[in-house]
Amino acid sequence: MSKTLKFLVVDDFSTMRRIVKNLLNDLGYQNVVEADDGNTALPILQQGDIDCLITDWNMPGMHGLELLKAVRSDAKLAKLPVLMLTAEAKREQIVEAAQAGVSGYVIKPFTAEILKEKLEKILGVAVGPSVAKSA
Amino acid sequence: MSASDSTSLKRLYGPRVQALAAALDSGDDSGFLSTLDDVLRTRKPELLEDLRDVTVNLKGALERFRLDARLADFAEREMPDARQRLAHVIKMTDQAAHRTLDLVEQSGPPAERTAKAAESLGASWTKFRARQIQTREFHELLKLMDKFLPAARADCELIRRNLGEVLLTQAYQDLSGQILRGVIALVHELESALAELARLSDAAPASEAPAGGQVSHGYGPAVPGVGDGGDVAIGQQDVDALLSGLGI
Repeated sequence: MSKTLKFLVVDDFSTMRRIVKNLLNDLGYQNVVEADDGNTALPILQQGDIDCLITDWNMPGMHGLELLKAVRSDAKLAKLPVLMLTAEAKREQIVEAAQAGVSGYVIKPFTAEILKEKLEKILGVAVGPSVAKSA
Repeated sequence: MSASDSTSLKRLYGPRVQALAAALDSGDDSGFLSTLDDVLRTRKPELLEDLRDVTVNLKGALERFRLDARLADFAEREMPDARQRLAHVIKMTDQAAHRTLDLVEQSGPPAERTAKAAESLGASWTKFRARQIQTREFHELLKLMDKFLPAARADCELIRRNLGEVLLTQAYQDLSGQILRGVIALVHELESALAELARLSDAAPASEAPAGGQVSHGYGPAVPGVGDGGDVAIGQQDVDALLSGLGI
């Protein structure tokens, strides 16, 4: 069942989106769509078929924290698992993300193992084969 | 000129001017020249003082002019240049990353193909080594091996070529490094010019800029030795501990 989950990866850098998409593919998730900031991500989320959102924080346009708040304030999306994948590492920011309702927080640079571990935690399912790549 | 200046000038030069006039009227050339020398000797320190003031002012003006010209050059030419160079670095790193990802993605299928083919040969090979293989299966094994060896060679050759290209793609680092070093030098020069400008204008050091709104918008990646590192979570373990403390 878990391998049919649909992911939305939001990052302004196309290389990072590609890296995350490849890692998700390696974990057995082939259904991955992309957006380059919160403004392009929200309409995709509002279609209602995304099972997990992985978003960067620092993006031009609508940044990741705003996107997270928008998701949590939308009744249909309020329970969507949201993983923040970002280089923002200040304690006050992590606390702010937690208060805004983030499900998991991974700081860049990260390893495939950490991504797998956090996905398992927030999705509550065993996630794909272990891979040795790092991003 | 104030009244006191005028009185002091009269006191200092009045008798000498009268002596000069008297010497000129009476045709006393040597007396006239000697009084004139005396006047000049009296005036010399004041002239030197004035000259020193003029020189200092002129030097300051020249410095300001030189600095203004340098800052204008920064604003009009070098900063836009630096912006373009930094944009070029982003473009180069983006291209290199995508090329590397292309090559890695292209290398996955041949590696997987070779691994699967080797795995499918494994069972028959084990039987063959144990001398338990049937003739028909042995002929199948030979056929599979005939296919596998050239295919594995071609796939490995492709992977090797891709790895070689991944290596070459990293050459961007040299170029981007040179460009970034140039921009760092420019920023350093600009920093010195601004500090000099602040010195010339006797500006007091500004208090630290408020960081309002930055928390939400983001600071970007933490850079070792830059900014207030005390507040930065050091690694994923710190993040996990922090979130765990918040019940996440």
